[in-house]
Amino acid sequence: MKKRWLVEMICAEEQYINLPGETRNMKRYMESTGLEGIGFRMFWQAGAIVLLAVTIGVLVNQIRSDRLPLVADWSPEARLTFESGTSMVISLEEARESFFSQKVVFLDARPPELYQEGHIQSARNLPWEAVEEYFDAVMTDIPQDSLIIIYCDGVNCELSKDLALELFYRGYEKVRVLVNGWSLWKENQLPIKTGHSPGA
Amino acid sequence: MLENPTTKANEKRKGWNWAKFPPLAVRLILGSVFIYASADKIIHPAPFAEAVNNYQILPETLINLTAVILPWLELILGIFLILGLWLPGAVLLSNFLIATFFGSLVFNLARGLDIQCGCFNTSQEDTYSLCMCLYLIRDGIFLLLGLYLLFLTYLRKPTGTGVRITKY
Repeated sequence: MKKRWLVEMICAEEQYINLPGETRNMKRYMESTGLEGIGFRMFWQAGAIVLLAVTIGVLVNQIRSDRLPLVADWSPEARLTFESGTSMVISLEEARESFFSQKVVFLDARPPELYQEGHIQSARNLPWEAVEEYFDAVMTDIPQDSLIIIYCDGVNCELSKDLALELFYRGYEKVRVLVNGWSLWKENQLPIKTGHSPGA
Repeated sequence: MLENPTTKANEKRKGWNWAKFPPLAVRLILGSVFIYASADKIIHPAPFAEAVNNYQILPETLINLTAVILPWLELILGIFLILGLWLPGAVLLSNFLIATFFGSLVFNLARGLDIQCGCFNTSQEDTYSLCMCLYLIRDGIFLLLGLYLLFLTYLRKPTGTGVRITKY
């Protein structure tokens, strides 16, 4: 009986005998925890699923009419440039000069609560999220040929871009965007104010 | 623990093992969520690319690639989870995706970035924080469901009979 047990043990060890030390230990560990088969399967299956998604995604994108370029320029300047090449971006220097010459209307595209916490002095609040509701009250006395500078907060903030396009399509031709406007304005210690919008 | 052969036979006769119901339900829920989430992104890739950009986590070169590939990955995972195909791989990837979404939300909540517009929002007492918290709770529930499947697939120890449950 004892002999048989010894033979079985030696046979069990033989399957590991030719394996290098680390592999042997890993194999033993994985077998003891039941991970061997499933560990291998999860990796090749996950890899195959990703590969399938990449193949289908890229192929479908290439054949559809509204395809996206696989690599695109997402800088604020690129996103705020029309197909004709005209850019809506205005620099801080230009915005500052326009501000002090008082030949400009500043529009804050952020929600009212953020506007009330602080905004560029003389700026009106036209929140993009409620543009229809605010539009008439805010824009009623602004001629369509006025220079309008729109801002929000954050380099990638979409509110000012969306509002600028809306105004452009409504006939306001001199619409510009001050990218990351609120942060830039504060950092450069230019005039700011708190409270409600004069146009609201 | 050894199973009672009589009970097993009864279960077979009934044709339905109730122990299989919770994992199946979780798979159906997660699979449906993945398919539902992928549909609009596949139909409208450009707005989805903007949404990816609004998270401000990925480098510029990966934004469009992500917008092109991720919705299909979600769709395939959803289908595989529902049909029970390649479950170890599908469950692993599902958890990876949900954990990534959850981590991105936490990261942006911590730095005060409103992911709906890509703008910074310093106000703490408005609907912004509430919305972000609701997103977090929603994704947290999905993460728990995913971890439940992961537990069943990988970490459940072999039973006394040597049969490990990997398909449910």
